[in-house]
Amino acid sequence: MSPVGTALAGQREARARFTPGAPGAPVIALRNVTKHYRSGGGIDDVTLEVHPGEVFGFLGPNGAGKTTTIRLLVDLIRPDRGELSIFGLDPRRDGIAVRRRIGYLPGDLVLYEKMTAGELLLHFARLRGGPGSPEIEALAEQFALDLRTPIAALSKGNKQKVGFLQAVMGTPELLVLDEPTTGLDPLVQHQAHELLRAVAGSGRTVFLSSHFLSEVQQVADRVAMIKAGRVVAVESVAGLRSRSVHLVDVRTVERLEPEAFSRLPGVGALQATDFSAHFEFAGPLDPLVRELSRLALADLSIREPDLEDVFLSYYDGHDDTAAPSPALGRAGSDGER
Amino acid sequence: MASGSPHRALRAGRGGTVFRRALSEHRLVLGGWFAGLGLYCAAMLAVFPTIHGNRAFAKLVESYPDAFRSMFAVADFTTGPGYLRGEIFSLMGPILVVLLALLWGSDLTAGEEERHTIDLLLANPVSRRRVVGEKWAAMAVGVTAVTSVFAIVPLAGNPIVHLGVGVARLLGVVVATAFTALLFGTLALAVAAATGRRGLARGVAAALAVASYLVSSLADLVSFLRPVRPLSPWYQAIGVDPLTHGFSWRLLIVVGLTAVLVAVSLATFERRDLAVS
Ligand SMILES: Nc1ncnc2c1ncn2[C@@H]1O[C@H](COP(=O)(O)OP(=O)(O)OP(=O)(O)O)[C@@H](O)[C@H]1O
Ligand SMILES: [Mg+2]
Repeated sequence: MSPVGTALAGQREARARFTPGAPGAPVIALRNVTKHYRSGGGIDDVTLEVHPGEVFGFLGPNGAGKTTTIRLLVDLIRPDRGELSIFGLDPRRDGIAVRRRIGYLPGDLVLYEKMTAGELLLHFARLRGGPGSPEIEALAEQFALDLRTPIAALSKGNKQKVGFLQAVMGTPELLVLDEPTTGLDPLVQHQAHELLRAVAGSGRTVFLSSHFLSEVQQVADRVAMIKAGRVVAVESVAGLRSRSVHLVDVRTVERLEPEAFSRLPGVGALQATDFSAHFEFAGPLDPLVRELSRLALADLSIREPDLEDVFLSYYDGHDDTAAPSPALGRAGSDGER
Repeated sequence: MASGSPHRALRAGRGGTVFRRALSEHRLVLGGWFAGLGLYCAAMLAVFPTIHGNRAFAKLVESYPDAFRSMFAVADFTTGPGYLRGEIFSLMGPILVVLLALLWGSDLTAGEEERHTIDLLLANPVSRRRVVGEKWAAMAVGVTAVTSVFAIVPLAGNPIVHLGVGVARLLGVVVATAFTALLFGTLALAVAAATGRRGLARGVAAALAVASYLVSSLADLVSFLRPVRPLSPWYQAIGVDPLTHGFSWRLLIVVGLTAVLVAVSLATFERRDLAVS
């Protein structure tokens, strides 16, 4: 556990150094932010608040507007309408003061190919007036990155690592990460998640976008879901989890009784034969697992529904108070709009 | 920000970082241009002794059509200054360094936008002005360094081939050439900074460079071009030969135009959405 352990310790030490301005004041605040590209697409009336010390997940399908929102935060593009503030400052007027406190990882990451990983990290460190090589070397060692390799010779995942380390180095108060774990192998992904949790643990703030509900559930405290340029939901991860549905497939060695499932609260759309059952399950998995442990299982799969289904089950929860299960029934027809 | 803030570790970055990287990124390209143009100059100098004072060649040149002679500045090939002017400073030399400068200027911001490296650069605590300013300064140094080969090689060869050109005049024409190149490089930058489009920037700058060269060189023959000739930077910088007439304050017009274009580039780049279409 040692390499990750040291990385986390380093990130935790930062705790004392960061004192958010007014207590409770949001680190990021967007109010009715609208941005349209000339070629079409963009975001509409996005309103969000991210608080100090939280990991905030920004979830949405391709083309939903995640990157657009994130590039507005670092002043690479400017809003058509609406208000943006970071640390209570205007990202455009006070751009330098704001960006001094941000670590940013672009979604469309392209690095200077001709530099080595070490040269590139040191170059950006100099642009920020710190950190020095010892911190860079420590981070690289923790993430098993060879700093002497030219960027052009790095694999996709290792390039992503360089981008990630570039964002987190120097313990910035706010991390703005656009799909930070794409291309990383599961082990490194896990390391990255742990580091982000440590960042939040030290009172700093993380804003990250993702396609994967599972990723966001692992690291985030709250989630905003964006679809076609509009934020459709902002939820705590706990709330989302209670609303989300699992797809369960059971095959048994002995004949099973469908009633075993149908009487469980949270089960819906049950289809059963003598030796198999397929159903949707809402809520915490504990009662289900307890029920399953009574059976002689031949095979079992419990899948998370995809993002689209979660969106739909969210809408459902608001349209009426019915159990979320019918959402999946509608996913087929609604999903094709 | 208060200077006693805990964020001292992340204070403003060190100045000159972008400048140094821009130069080091181009060092191979610059070396190549320097060597190539140096070889061209050396070859030209090697031929000079066979033409120096050669009356038959002078007669031949006089028989060329006027249009041809003014377009390619073939005048008194048989003297050192005339030879340098005809072979290097009237066309080949400036055209090549203008090309270098406009390729560089068009790439300065738009290259990073098109390659998508601009996000990582500008998300740092640096202003867009500083990034463009430092990159422009690197271009100015690089273009001037390459152009200096047109003084270095003739000065080095002078003891052998006896050009009979003064150092001051040679430096004067080299500076004029470098500034002309920088003007067109900055023009390319201005178009690129305003649009984010490298190809467009190159096209506009190249078209204006060629057109203003033709205006400058043909106005002696074509009377209706004469009134517009002062608009041509080529004419202002090197149209009245600095090798024979010495430094002219007209070069300041070129410098002033460049300064205006730098200011325009900084202002438009500041306002734009970057890397969007
Ligand atoms: N640089 C750009 N120029 C023009 N249009 C753009 C640009 N970036 C995004 N768009 C458009 O804006 C919309 C939102 O795109 P955005 O990149 O913000 O989505 P995203 O949620 O980041 O998607 P992905 O998950 O694929 O990264 C899309 O319709 C896209 O076509
Ligand atoms: Mg994106």
